[in-house]
Order: sequence, then structure tokens, then C-alpha cells
Amino acid sequence: MKIAVTGKGGSGKTTTSAALARTLARRGLAVVALDCDTNPNLGISLGVGDQETERLLTLRERLDEGGVEHAPGWDELMERFGTDAPDGVRLGVITRIENPEPG
Amino acid sequence: MAFMGKGGSGKSTIAGTFARLLARRGEPVLALDSDPLPGLPYGLGVEVDDRPIPDDAVVEGPEGGPRWVLAPGIGPADVIERYAVECPDGVRYLQFGNTSGEIWAVQRAQFAWSETVHGLDRSTWSLVGDLPGGTRQAMFGWAKYADCALLVVEPTAKSLHTARRLLHLDRAEWGPTTIGVVANKVRDEADVVRIEDRLDRAVMVRVPWSSAVVEGDRHAGAPLDVDPDGSFVAEVDGLVDRLVPAYDRDVEVS
Ligand SMILES: Nc1ncnc2c1ncn2[C@@H]1O[C@H](COP(=O)(O)OP(=O)(O)OP(=O)(O)O)[C@@H](O)[C@H]1O
Ligand SMILES: [Mg+2]
Repeated sequence: MKIAVTGKGGSGKTTTSAALARTLARRGLAVVALDCDTNPNLGISLGVGDQETERLLTLRERLDEGGVEHAPGWDELMERFGTDAPDGVRLGVITRIENPEPG
Repeated sequence: MAFMGKGGSGKSTIAGTFARLLARRGEPVLALDSDPLPGLPYGLGVEVDDRPIPDDAVVEGPEGGPRWVLAPGIGPADVIERYAVECPDGVRYLQFGNTSGEIWAVQRAQFAWSETVHGLDRSTWSLVGDLPGGTRQAMFGWAKYADCALLVVEPTAKSLHTARRLLHLDRAEWGPTTIGVVANKVRDEADVVRIEDRLDRAVMVRVPWSSAVVEGDRHAGAPLDVDPDGSFVAEVDGLVDRLVPAYDRDVEVS
């Protein structure tokens, strides 16, 4: 199962995604939570804390700047650009600003 | 000015109110919306949701130049005259165009918007811009027209996280000369302390949580129309007072 959460700013996308991810994980599913926001803060709602959220973001920025290599596949992506969140959820930040247009 | 901050922090509601209150002081005000999902009309109190600069005002740009430019004979002032929407209190509103159209059409309008905004006679117009939520447009320089960025922040962890990142604009070469922190949805003194601690900056204005604003929003009513004498409008009015003399005299705001 793959779920994408979208909506207006401040409508509760991140909070809802986090609650959904942890609820599914508590029911025994293996859950990966992906933060695709250009301004990622899913980590805060999942409960990994400010600092860890910031660390993942910095990692992603270094990737964007070309300082580190992209992950060649899924497992490595989650390993290198992910972190463990409560209830066994694995959080990953993913990106690629293909096209620096607005929005 | 340009309003920036996390999604849902209240940028459009405050920017629309600010633009109208500034216009009431006799300034010609142009409200600028670079959000492809525009929220500023709600703050201004107009029913407009898709009013991009039309196709026939835009032509392909020269070799090596921008992809799209304003058509010959159409200058920034003409764009405002013809296409900016008239709003209450005499504010004019220039929209970017929303994302419902064809991608090429949207791009044409966006290039024309940018050329207009950056080419305008700054001694005539006061500009009040509203950016999309998050850091992206701000970081990519879409608010270069602003001398002063107003960072709208709620006293919540995620809003503060975004605000901290936006404060990096301080170090951007083209960044605004001043970044003012606007605390929004404030319930008590502890909220203000939380913001000031986390951002390591003084808050310029504290806009209270307002149930009248929330209620108005249920029916697409702008704060100035649904609760003109309330605390939300009063605080935004204070912000105008604070900024107008500074920019009229071209002095630094602290
Ligand atoms: N001081 C306030 N008190 C209560 N509610 C508020 C206040 N300011 C704004 N709001 C409400 O917060 C919600 C988000 O406001 P608004 O659309 O202005 O945010 P935004 O920052 O422009 O969001 P986006 O990033 O999606 O454009 C709206 O429902 C608005 O009515
Ligand atoms: Mg908005």
C-alpha cells in the first residue's frame, strides 16, 4: 500500500501523515514515511525531534549541492538518508529539485 | 514588503489586511501574489481566483534572454493599469496565475509577472507581496523586490523550524535589508517568549489568535470586512504604523 497526503498549507498534511504512519506501524505493518516537502518537517510530527529533523535536511542539502552522491537504490536510500522514528517507522527525506520554478 | 513563512501561518490573511490598511493612509499599493495557489484574495476581500497576465500581453523573449517577455509597447505600468484587479480601499492586485491552466500558459504569465514587478517605478508604488508557504520561492529570489521581508510565524515547532531556515536569507546576497518577525496566532506571553527564544530575535508585532478571523474564513470574509475593530486588524495596523515612517524616510528598522 502506498499513500500520498496532499492539501493546502497548514491544513494538517504533515500531522496526518505522521499519525497515519505510526498507527499503521502499531498494527504491525512495515512502514516507511517519506518527506517530499521542499521544506521537510515530518520528523517533528513523527516525534524524532528538531535536531534529527534538521540533520536529515542538512544531509539532503549536501546532496543537492553535489557534496554527496545520490543513493543508487531504495535500501541504500533509506539507510543513508533515513532515520528511525517511534513505533518502528523508518523516516526518509527525498528530493530532487528538477526545476527551480515557484511553488 | 514581502510576507513569507510556513504554509498556513497566516501570510495571506495578514498581507491582505496590511495592503488595505497601508492604502488607507494614501499610499498607492500594489498587492503581489506569487503563490500559484493564491490565497491573497481572501485577505484582501476580493473574489478573484485566477487572473494571470493574459497571453496576448506576452511574447517569446530574444535569443539568450528570458524565455517570455512583455509584448512590445506594453510596459510594467501598462500591465498594472490593464490587468491588476481593483480591490477595496484602492489596492490593486496583481496575480501570478494559478496552476489550473496549461503549464506553458502558466509560465508565460509568471515571466511577465516577474518582469512587471521588477521593472515597476518604485517611487510610485508600495509593494506588498505574498509568497507561497515554505522556503523555496524565498530562497530562489522571488521576492527580490522587497527591502523588508516579514516572516510570519506561529508559536509551533514546525512553523519555527521553517522560520529558522528563512532567517538564513539574512546572508543571501540579494536578500532583503531587514527581516521582521511577525508572531501570529499568539495566545499568551509564553507564545511570544517561545518564538523569541527559538529564533533569537525580537518579535516586531504580536498578532493574537482571533476567533473572529477564523469565523470570517468559514465564509471567505476578510478580517477588515468581518471584524474591522477587532484585535487582529488593530495589530496589523500597528505594524503598518511601525513600517511606514521607516520606509518613507528610508531608515533602518530595528
Ligand atoms: N491571527 C489569527 N487567528 C486565527 N486564525 C488565523 C489568524 N491568522 C490567520 N488565521 C487562519 O489561518 C489559516 C491560514 O491563513 P492563511 O491562508 O493566511 O495562511 P498562509 O500562510 O497564507 O497559507 P499558505 O502557505 O497555504 O498560503 C486561515 O484559515 C486563516 O483564517
Ligand atoms: Mg497564502
